[in-house]
Amino acid sequence: MSQLEKKAGLLRRTSSSKKPLKEKVVLMYDEIFAKEDPAKNNSRFWDELFLMKVNLEYLEAKLESLDGDEVMKIKDNINSLFHHCVQALAEEHQIKVVNALQTLCALFRGVHQKNKSASGFDIINMLVGFDKAELRMKDLMESLDSLLCGEGSESLKALCLKLLLCLVTVTDNISQNTILEYVMINSIFEAILQILSDVSTRGQHGYDAVVLLALLVNYRKYESVNPYIVKLSIVDDEPTLDTFMLIVMFSPCVCVSRQYKDKEEENHGGFFSTLTSMVRTHLILTNEAILLALYEAVHLNRNFITVLAQSHPEIDIPTTPITPVPTTPTTPLGTTPLSMDMMNSSELPLDPNLQTSNLLITFLKYSSIVMQDTKDEHRLNSARLCLIILTCITEDQYADAFLHDDNMNFRVNLHRMPMRHRKKAAEKNVPSRPLVCAVLDLMVEFIVTHMMKDFPMDLYMRCVQVIHKLICYQKKCRIRLHYTWRELWSALINLLKFLLSNETVLLAKHNIFHLALLVVNLFNMFITYGDTFLPTSNSYDELYYEIVRMHQIFDNLYCMVLRVSTNAGQWKEPASKVTHSLVNVRAIINHFNPKIESYAAVNHISQLSEDQVLEVVRSNYDTLTLKLQDGLDQFERYSEQPKEAAFFKELVRSISLNVRKNVSLNTLSQDLLLKEFSTIS
Amino acid sequence: MTSTNLGLSHVEGQNNDETSFCFLLSLSLSVSLSLCLSLSVSVWPQWECGDPPLDVISEGVGELTLVIDPEVAKMACQEVLQKVKFLKGESEGSGPGSDGGNSTDQTLVNGTVHTEPIKPPKIPGEEDSEALPPGSVKSARRRQRHNPSKQSWLLRLFESKLFDVSMAISYLHNSKEPGVQAYIGNRLFSFRHEEVDFYLPQLLNMYIHMDEDVGDAIKPYVVHRCRQSISFSLQCAWLLGAYSSDMHISTQRHSRGTKLRKLIFSDELKPAAVRARQPLTLAPFCPLPTAAPSLHGHGLGGEHGLSPTKRTHQRSKSDATVSISLSSNLKRTASNPKVESNQDEVCTGSIYIFCFPLSHFPARLAPQREFIKSLMGIGKRLATLPTKEQKTSRLISELSLLNHKLPARVWLPTAAFDHHVVRVPHTQAVVLNSKDKAPYLIYVEVLECEDFETSNVPVRISETRIRSTRSVENLPDCGITADQRAGGFSTVHNYDEDNEAWSVDDIGDLQVELPEFHTNSCDNISQFSVDSITSLDSKEPIFIAAGDIRRRLSEQLAHTPTTFKRDPEDPSAVALKEPWQEKVQRIREGSPYGHIPTWRLLSVIVKCGDDLRQELLASQVLQQLQIIWEQERVPIWIKPYKILVISSDSGMIEPIVNAVSIHQVKKQSQMSLLDYFLQEHGTHTTEAFLTAQRNFVQSCAGYCLICYLLQVKDRHNGNILLDAEGHIIHIDFGFILSSSPRNLGFETSAFKLTNEFVDVMGGLDGDMFNYYKMLMLQGLIAARKHMDKVIQIVEIMQQGSQLPCFHGSSTIRTLKERFHMSLTEEQLQVLVEQMVDGSMRSITTKLYDGFQYLTNGIM
Repeated sequence: MSQLEKKAGLLRRTSSSKKPLKEKVVLMYDEIFAKEDPAKNNSRFWDELFLMKVNLEYLEAKLESLDGDEVMKIKDNINSLFHHCVQALAEEHQIKVVNALQTLCALFRGVHQKNKSASGFDIINMLVGFDKAELRMKDLMESLDSLLCGEGSESLKALCLKLLLCLVTVTDNISQNTILEYVMINSIFEAILQILSDVSTRGQHGYDAVVLLALLVNYRKYESVNPYIVKLSIVDDEPTLDTFMLIVMFSPCVCVSRQYKDKEEENHGGFFSTLTSMVRTHLILTNEAILLALYEAVHLNRNFITVLAQSHPEIDIPTTPITPVPTTPTTPLGTTPLSMDMMNSSELPLDPNLQTSNLLITFLKYSSIVMQDTKDEHRLNSARLCLIILTCITEDQYADAFLHDDNMNFRVNLHRMPMRHRKKAAEKNVPSRPLVCAVLDLMVEFIVTHMMKDFPMDLYMRCVQVIHKLICYQKKCRIRLHYTWRELWSALINLLKFLLSNETVLLAKHNIFHLALLVVNLFNMFITYGDTFLPTSNSYDELYYEIVRMHQIFDNLYCMVLRVSTNAGQWKEPASKVTHSLVNVRAIINHFNPKIESYAAVNHISQLSEDQVLEVVRSNYDTLTLKLQDGLDQFERYSEQPKEAAFFKELVRSISLNVRKNVSLNTLSQDLLLKEFSTIS
Repeated sequence: MTSTNLGLSHVEGQNNDETSFCFLLSLSLSVSLSLCLSLSVSVWPQWECGDPPLDVISEGVGELTLVIDPEVAKMACQEVLQKVKFLKGESEGSGPGSDGGNSTDQTLVNGTVHTEPIKPPKIPGEEDSEALPPGSVKSARRRQRHNPSKQSWLLRLFESKLFDVSMAISYLHNSKEPGVQAYIGNRLFSFRHEEVDFYLPQLLNMYIHMDEDVGDAIKPYVVHRCRQSISFSLQCAWLLGAYSSDMHISTQRHSRGTKLRKLIFSDELKPAAVRARQPLTLAPFCPLPTAAPSLHGHGLGGEHGLSPTKRTHQRSKSDATVSISLSSNLKRTASNPKVESNQDEVCTGSIYIFCFPLSHFPARLAPQREFIKSLMGIGKRLATLPTKEQKTSRLISELSLLNHKLPARVWLPTAAFDHHVVRVPHTQAVVLNSKDKAPYLIYVEVLECEDFETSNVPVRISETRIRSTRSVENLPDCGITADQRAGGFSTVHNYDEDNEAWSVDDIGDLQVELPEFHTNSCDNISQFSVDSITSLDSKEPIFIAAGDIRRRLSEQLAHTPTTFKRDPEDPSAVALKEPWQEKVQRIREGSPYGHIPTWRLLSVIVKCGDDLRQELLASQVLQQLQIIWEQERVPIWIKPYKILVISSDSGMIEPIVNAVSIHQVKKQSQMSLLDYFLQEHGTHTTEAFLTAQRNFVQSCAGYCLICYLLQVKDRHNGNILLDAEGHIIHIDFGFILSSSPRNLGFETSAFKLTNEFVDVMGGLDGDMFNYYKMLMLQGLIAARKHMDKVIQIVEIMQQGSQLPCFHGSSTIRTLKERFHMSLTEEQLQVLVEQMVDGSMRSITTKLYDGFQYLTNGIM
């Protein structure tokens, strides 16, 4: 109890009086928590209540302290409080509106805190009352809707969004939050959209709106028809989508990715590595929500693909420290002021130092950071989500067209992990190339850097699939990309090598044959369809050279899969598939190896140079016959359900927790807000 | 032509209509003159009655090549009429014939006029009516006596069918007679618009820099055309601005050019349709003076027809009255709100058109001006960026923002047809090579339309077209209600018949399209794979030879037309090398508007910070020479390109499609020009090579002549383009006539003829080289024959100009000298030989190339 009293404030330690003084509002709360109808004695009780500054802590704590039965006893009063809150939202008096909003927040949180186990229906009953729930919630949503869309104060709008975020995240599993059923029925999608499309509001509220939308979309995604999914999927208003994109692009976490590089360069190990990891931690904290929003937009709304490619000046935050952004209490979820400026102006700033960029580039850079460290579960999830988004992007024809557009060249500085066995990538001057090169680079980088005991099989699968999709597109559209394919080939061969050497460890956990099959089939694509997308005839020769050079690995792979497929066991089937897929690679090796050896013998050379091997390759094509394999350019399209459902469920849960933590009480009771309205008569 | 004749004619006129058309042949000069004039005098009032007479009159057209657009003539007359009407109140009374106005025209309509076959006289008639001072018959007679033979010869010439725009311009420029000038001013109405448009820079330059009379003569025509067309208005305004810029700032502010420019920009020159109809309705209330001798808007003002000092006074007054009374008139009826909403009715002839108050007219010029302004703004901002790469990426993002404002009622002035701009495929834009300026090339998607002023602006189609969504495909139609806020989704669904075509957008779907896409036989591999996928049960393995794959690869690489490698320092090379048709196809496929049948792709170079007036001059000379050579059947090939001067330091250029500069060719291919020809077109004996070679020779001859005649300098390989058919095309006429780059005195040879060029022509002894010299000779002879037409273009532009190409006093004289009027054809032949020899031997060309290589990296 003493705890409670402390929260009631105005505690006079020095005073001899035993009974501490209580705020009036606290007294009024106490009246509500009594069993009597508070309005019985004072008919103006509710009017007065909302004129009082809300004491959120007390109210919430009080609610928490009650157990289920106790709550049921005062249910009528709570229902009444809820009812009057909703009514107060329509008041002209802004202070009342603010107080009502805050009270509602406390109500939602308080009731849920205590009754985590209670079914959603009980909670509704407790808060609103079954009989009136539909009507009350409708009123509430309508009031919020009109507040969000109205001409009112920005702080008020911010508070509305916070309330909604609060409401959406009260349960860990969003789908169990039964109250949201009413948010589904009384959609506020249009209000959210309007906030995004309004130039004046989007900078301030955009981030909250986007997060809210991402969460709402995930409510009972798979079980029922979620109107937010439907509506989000058909938005085609360019300015709105644009804002969505800008918010993602300039959200604090993504912004961090831009400094990350500098940090990384300045500091190597030692004291600074901790700093870096701090940055990284923060990065992980907030990015999931935004990444999810990005995913939902890319996955659901195809119009969004076009804004992905929309150019915007890149914002490199100047050398001033960026630390305050995440910790400022007033805008825990807000965007940086800089990005607000950006979003509010329709003109591009005139500054030669600003590189133009687009969300895709930002996303690729960001992904390159996220993928560097996948040890932690959060980071692994983020990396996975990045790859899923990339999968969706590469499946979209418009995005592919953009990625391959020869006219749109960009320098994309991907972040590369410093590794002992390779030189620090000092290539400051990445050439300007079509974006697809950056995507391929990113994939190659991932393949090379994640061959570890704790093998991220799932990520590797996605990664190879992304490459496959890109090559399919190139084959179909006959795009001859000037890319150094050799790097990809050697990365893939090394991957096979890793699989071989860790066979036993990996087989315990993963179906490595599936991955091996995908990799071998990538080679098959190059071998049989190389004529349609390779940039030069030399590159085809180089492919053969590479295969022949690394023939040992292919031979070993063949032996391994042959062995496994002859043993009866769970891997028999997948292994035999790999055996079949190796037919062309083996044909090449068996064809050229003797030729090269005899060439060496004839010319008395012990070590053939690359050119000499290429020469042998060139002159011996005609006697080699390859087998055309079916379905090399077929791929399974991405679908969220059922494969990814569990992942997203977990992801949304973690985001909910995080958002709930961030929509803190002190955000809700902003003194600023009250000051703003104090002058209103 | 003077007022004297007119006066006479007026007296004698009305009965002689029928015979007038034979005036050229038989009658005595003075009589014929008077006849023709009288005819017109008597005829013109009928026009205001409406259309029927016009139709009848056009019967006789066949006899003369000069054809007046009946509309134009009608407008012109009505304009006069209108002014007459407004001035009437002020004038001291009706002129000699004015009281008979309406009755005359009635009788004429029914009478002989119908058979009137000759059109030109009507126009002089108009002038007549204006130029004739009331009751000045005597003075007119006196003037006629002064110089009867000259006047009449001149008139004969003017009336003859040989009299064309070029001559008109020439007389306008040379004649000191206000009467002649006024006559020609009116006569302009009788020429086809395109013909006059060619000389628009000359006309406007005369308007700005020559004396009052010329200006007064030109203005009505310009004003009239401005009323008719927004694009003409803008072009005039831009040219006026550009050509006024050389004046001293203080004079410029009050100059005629500036005033006219302001008038145009003020948007007071409303569509002709509105004005033209006005007299029709008003006519009944204002009895019209028959000949309206006292009234005119064209300068020979009323009672002081011979006093030039007062003319302007009168003029401006009358103009002011017109506009004042007009606007007040309009405002009175402006209350109808209906009008504002449907401006499309303007041309449907509804009665409401009169009700348009000036202020309620949607700003006609504003969208286009904004569009041009933003293009120029981009150019200015690009210039501040240091590297090409930054410029390019900046350009692309700027244009993507511009896209948000399209489609709009804007167009590219360089295009030959009416259209609306719907989209700028921003990713295709490139920055061109230039050291400190940032000219850039953009492609513009347009929809062709009937008339950009009246046709509806196309509806915006979202960049993404319509896209079905994956996860929602199967969901029932839920949650989407009709009352969606803010029209968020209102435009999503209804693309009717296009729906199917548009939903094809996934990789998977592409597969189906492919066999059609690439029909060449070597595509059997993908064919196979498609087959094998579709036929599920074919389990027989298909074998292919690795050699085949390798061969196909190299074949396909060889077959694809040589593309240039991307070079961040020269982004335009690749873009320009791509064959135009392929580019159009490619952009069309990627455009949301591509399915519309009227879709067209245009391109334009936006120049900011460059003075294009010299370019325009050169382009005019080129066009003139092209016409001359065509007339004289000299198979010389040149390619004048459109220039749009927007101000003295900005403008637009129509790019030449399918052409890259020789510099780019050499840099990219790293081979000699001849080898490049062989690579592109085939070996020496192939048809393709021979055609390309002939094209090369014919164009080379043309441009050598032009370089000589215009003294085009700065001829390095970056300024010479080579098109896909083998033609060379010279661009960049920044140094012509009296100016040369930095006055280094380089390039003293007559034109640029390098050994490489000669090699392409087949060497010094080849037939093609002789053909080349013969073409030059023929071309020079032909050009000489029509020298005046060329000189005139340049001469008029010299007026008041500070352009470097007119530096010094001898520009025109030396230009004339280069036509060598005094030489015989044999001598000319020798001259050509000498010039060719000289250019061949000239080290300065090589030196200059070396200089350019050193300073600008141009090969």
